[in-house]
Amino acid sequence: MRLPVLFKFAKVLMISRLRSTRRSIVSRSITSRPILIGIIGIVLFVAALFFGYLTTVFLSSGGAPLAGPVAHQLVVTIFGGIPLFLAGFYFTMGLLWEVNASTEAESTDAINWLPITPGEYVAASALSTSYTYSPLLMVAFGYALPIGILTGNLAGFLALIPIALLSTSVGSVSVEILRSALASASTAFNKLGGRITVMMRILGIILILLVTQLLFSGVFLIQIISSLVGTSAAASFVPVFWPTLAITNLLQSDFLGSAGFLGLSTALFLFLSYIAISLRAKYWAVTPGAIHFTGAGSVSGPSWLGYLGLSSPSIAMLKREIRSATRRKEVVRLMAIPIIMPIMISFPAIFSPAPSSTSGPAQIDPIFLVIPFLFGIGLGSLFLGMTSIGQEGRRLWNISALPVSANMLVKSKLLFTFLVSSIGLGLGALVSALLLHASILVILGFLGLGIVVILAEASLGIAIGSRFPDFSDGPRPRFVTVIGSIIGAILGIVEMATMALPIILSFILRTFLSILMPLQFVLALSGAVAGLLAWIAYSISIKPVDSILSELPN
Amino acid sequence: MTSTVSSIDVSHLTKAYGSTVALNDVTLSVSTGEVRGLLGPNGSGKSSLMKTIIGLTKPSYGSIQVLGYDVRANPMEIKKIVGYVPESPRLYEFLTATEYLDFIADVRGIPYEQKKERIARFVDALDLEGKQGDMISSYSQGMKQKVAIIGALLHRPRVLLMDEPLNGLDPKSARLVKQLIHGLAREGVSVMFSTHILEIAEAICDKLTILQGGKILAEGTSKDLRENAGLPGSGLEDVFLKLTGTKGVEEIVEALIR
Repeated sequence: MRLPVLFKFAKVLMISRLRSTRRSIVSRSITSRPILIGIIGIVLFVAALFFGYLTTVFLSSGGAPLAGPVAHQLVVTIFGGIPLFLAGFYFTMGLLWEVNASTEAESTDAINWLPITPGEYVAASALSTSYTYSPLLMVAFGYALPIGILTGNLAGFLALIPIALLSTSVGSVSVEILRSALASASTAFNKLGGRITVMMRILGIILILLVTQLLFSGVFLIQIISSLVGTSAAASFVPVFWPTLAITNLLQSDFLGSAGFLGLSTALFLFLSYIAISLRAKYWAVTPGAIHFTGAGSVSGPSWLGYLGLSSPSIAMLKREIRSATRRKEVVRLMAIPIIMPIMISFPAIFSPAPSSTSGPAQIDPIFLVIPFLFGIGLGSLFLGMTSIGQEGRRLWNISALPVSANMLVKSKLLFTFLVSSIGLGLGALVSALLLHASILVILGFLGLGIVVILAEASLGIAIGSRFPDFSDGPRPRFVTVIGSIIGAILGIVEMATMALPIILSFILRTFLSILMPLQFVLALSGAVAGLLAWIAYSISIKPVDSILSELPN
Repeated sequence: MTSTVSSIDVSHLTKAYGSTVALNDVTLSVSTGEVRGLLGPNGSGKSSLMKTIIGLTKPSYGSIQVLGYDVRANPMEIKKIVGYVPESPRLYEFLTATEYLDFIADVRGIPYEQKKERIARFVDALDLEGKQGDMISSYSQGMKQKVAIIGALLHRPRVLLMDEPLNGLDPKSARLVKQLIHGLAREGVSVMFSTHILEIAEAICDKLTILQGGKILAEGTSKDLRENAGLPGSGLEDVFLKLTGTKGVEEIVEALIR
């Protein structure tokens, strides 16, 4: 390991990753002077010192120093929470960064041409991730320091420093594993073709996202392990808790236990590093290269979609959307969102007992339990719709030069978003039936309402995405401007609330005034509102799309 | 087979991007079956002119008619009858060449049998046979250019706009494209063709238009241009350099190698 190369490379990686986002004042300033991150960290450290001090003042009574069980509990909670939080934060930020990266950009990365060993790459990349998010580490230290001093736990604070650093390293190295795993998955899937591959790719992405989310969701892991070992010491079996246990044991004067968990944490870090380096060595670069799909390739004949009334150009547009979504990594992750959202929302249901017949179905109709799924599916559709126009990027001329009307383009985007979100809707219905024991009527109502909610949110997404498109191609294309994202998110939630208004009103009337409104009527009313909003959003998206098609962005 | 009937009529066209004027009061007419060469230094407005004709950008001022269709009023009709090859085309890299061409053909409404036959013929002619099942991302620049050219020709356009179409092509394919342009013109297709290679322009174009700073500097046959420049016996390069006011190349070269 060549240390000068390592540090230089880590700096280059950090700068290139930050610059690959967008040209904002912040990213420009930071990337031209990376030391700014350190300075920001110091400023935040000082600010956090103040808040840490305030915490002790707030919890102490009558100006007396914080001491006793309260102080101990505070220190254990905060010092113990910091390593877990840091590992989770570093990993999640890295994960978000990674699933946004474009395969094309990565494969042409200069890093792949240079004589750099997998170990150097992993170390430098993890170091760059750690440094990029180091201000958060400084906040944690700044907050913990006055608490440690004022509660007489300075030694605990000093022990927290290496443990917290170890946690951030665990998070950063885990990102490297994910990076290689995604590259491997991408390459493996690219070597195959056909519909099965499409499904495999989507499922693979969803699986990776779910597993990684679960990995750092301690509550779920504890529940799983508790059910296996049936003891309260289940946390000891969760690797991500080991750094936390090292510090909490130390604070409880269990030095042997602390040393044991510190050793385990170090072993975990070394093990993850070994895996990261091995994977990096094996899947060095993403290979979008010479990929055969169907031999010489054959032109398509009449499609069954024609029987649904779709014209040949519309079918061609839809097929292109599907191919784009399933072959471009930066687009596949968008597809996963409307599918994964209901699954994520259903986690609490999975890890808690299902409502039984004795728990009072008379008070809470299952429809009120399944409707929240639509929130996730709707927001997923909104997001997919918002990014659908910008993802054309510099390839937009292909569409602009063809006799493709704005109507046709919007319809193809809408249809594609609908198809993807329908998978999430189906999953939501499945979860409703299996875990919430919803009746057929409720599921049908859920599906019916879900269809119009998807159309409404997707249409709104396209309307926003066409007004605020971001066509710039880069390693991390965003497809919609920041302003567009904010406006879209706000309007999307407002639209969701408007659609849910009849259901919310019915719930309030039922709960507080014992007035029962027919379920079919409530759902129909919500559906009608959603339909109206879908039509309005569709109508207002035509003009901006037409403008885009007739004036290529510079 | 140049006819007197014009296919492309550009009248007092001005195109501005903010404060930058890309085209300034351009008026030109291309006859049916004519091959018109567009020459000019980098940034002279050649690409902007083609983009405005096909409707990829809107004219700031002036009018454009293609086979009688106004670009503002009937952009879709124009896109149906025009084939366009952009400079450095960005294709859908996530598609194979066959899938890309299949997509273009379907959007243009080409029936299955014709689509199949035309794609196979072009792919074979431009030496893409055996590689058409590969993702476009794996193609060289020249191969991508070939796919873009096929995409522009699949629907048998009546007007062809080609922005430096020979970029990156191997000699055989370049010759094939040049002869194809001649052949299409004989069939009555009007071709607007931009290039920096003056020999090619002279060899395949019926008329040449030299643009500079968004304005038409000179127009006519290569013979007309020589006479305009007062260089009747000279090569087109000398004529071009004189008309565009490029002087002192020898001195610059001397300074560079010194």
